[in-house]
Amino acid sequence: MNDVSRLVIAARLDAVRHACDFVVEAAEAAHLDERTVYHCQMAVDEALTNIIEHGYTYQGNDRQIEITCQVEPERVVITIIDDSPAFNPLTHDTPDPAEPLDSREPGGWGIYFIRKLMNDVQYQRVGDRNHLVLIKQLPAPEVVTQPGDESDTFPVSLLETGAVKISPAGRLDSKNSPVLEKTLYSQLEQGHSRLFVDMVDVEYISSSGLKVLVSAWRRAQDNGGDVILSGLQPRLIEILEMVGFDMLFQIFPDLDTALAAHSKKP
Amino acid sequence: MAMEINSSEMKRVQLFEVIGRVDSTNANELGTALDKSVDSGRNNLVLDLNGVEYMSSAGLREMVRVLKRVKRVGGDLRIANPSERVKEVFELAGLDTIFEIYPTQVEAVGSF
Repeated sequence: MNDVSRLVIAARLDAVRHACDFVVEAAEAAHLDERTVYHCQMAVDEALTNIIEHGYTYQGNDRQIEITCQVEPERVVITIIDDSPAFNPLTHDTPDPAEPLDSREPGGWGIYFIRKLMNDVQYQRVGDRNHLVLIKQLPAPEVVTQPGDESDTFPVSLLETGAVKISPAGRLDSKNSPVLEKTLYSQLEQGHSRLFVDMVDVEYISSSGLKVLVSAWRRAQDNGGDVILSGLQPRLIEILEMVGFDMLFQIFPDLDTALAAHSKKP
Repeated sequence: MAMEINSSEMKRVQLFEVIGRVDSTNANELGTALDKSVDSGRNNLVLDLNGVEYMSSAGLREMVRVLKRVKRVGGDLRIANPSERVKEVFELAGLDTIFEIYPTQVEAVGSF
């Protein structure tokens, strides 16, 4: 048996709190754990805030947003329906990497968190309405994760200048970040402290990938070196900017530009 | 009241104790309070989040904005005592490596 509850709120920021309370209540009534409840609340908050700010551009005082919350045995399904102009948050614009940081919109966090906090997010335009479906799997009993192939590292090449190029690929998520960590640290341990990480083949980076980059960066800095990034897709640049890493890392559009910039330095 | 901010002037640090819920309806108030301190030349900020039960990305956005601002003038914005959930939100965004986060207010204030 599934519990379904439904709420309609005005499309105003000060009504979002009602939706948060509604989701918390529904989730708590189903005895979900505190962490899952928090994640559901935050995803709904971020989704509604985006709709009100960007969909209705704060002009939705007389419009309504409908939220349904369905608790199933293994997951929570939250559906948000609004009649603002069609907007698929899953394909939202990526900023121009040439645009300087200060003139950029600081947005993007909301969608980032929705996708982080939920296990699945689906969007559909139905008639003149946006349907956003947020799905949260309920925590399963603890699973022992299999360690990955220990010998795995990303390709490394020693350049003529003595610099080291590292070419990670694919998704730098919690599964693959240890591979990047191992690759970077083995170079640092061998005394190479100026590492050019060419990210041209990286599709995605999660917080675990970001953590690996920043800890390698710290270590390299301690040794008088640097971790220099190049070839990032606009979406990755956006993520780095959201977390402020663009202040730490030197970021170049491609490896050649990065190498050229560094060859001029003593 | 959804959010309350108590600001106190310490020797080297401006301390902000935030209580309640930080979301898109009030995050700008938090930003404004921090900005006011920076405007008056006090750039070493500690944000005690002990009383914050919930924070959305709107709150984080203000904190990152102010962090960038104070870093440019040689200051810092350091975090004390976030709840486990709020800490997780920081971690999800990789902000735990950007902000210095201390388990207690005393340690955060003393770090300057």
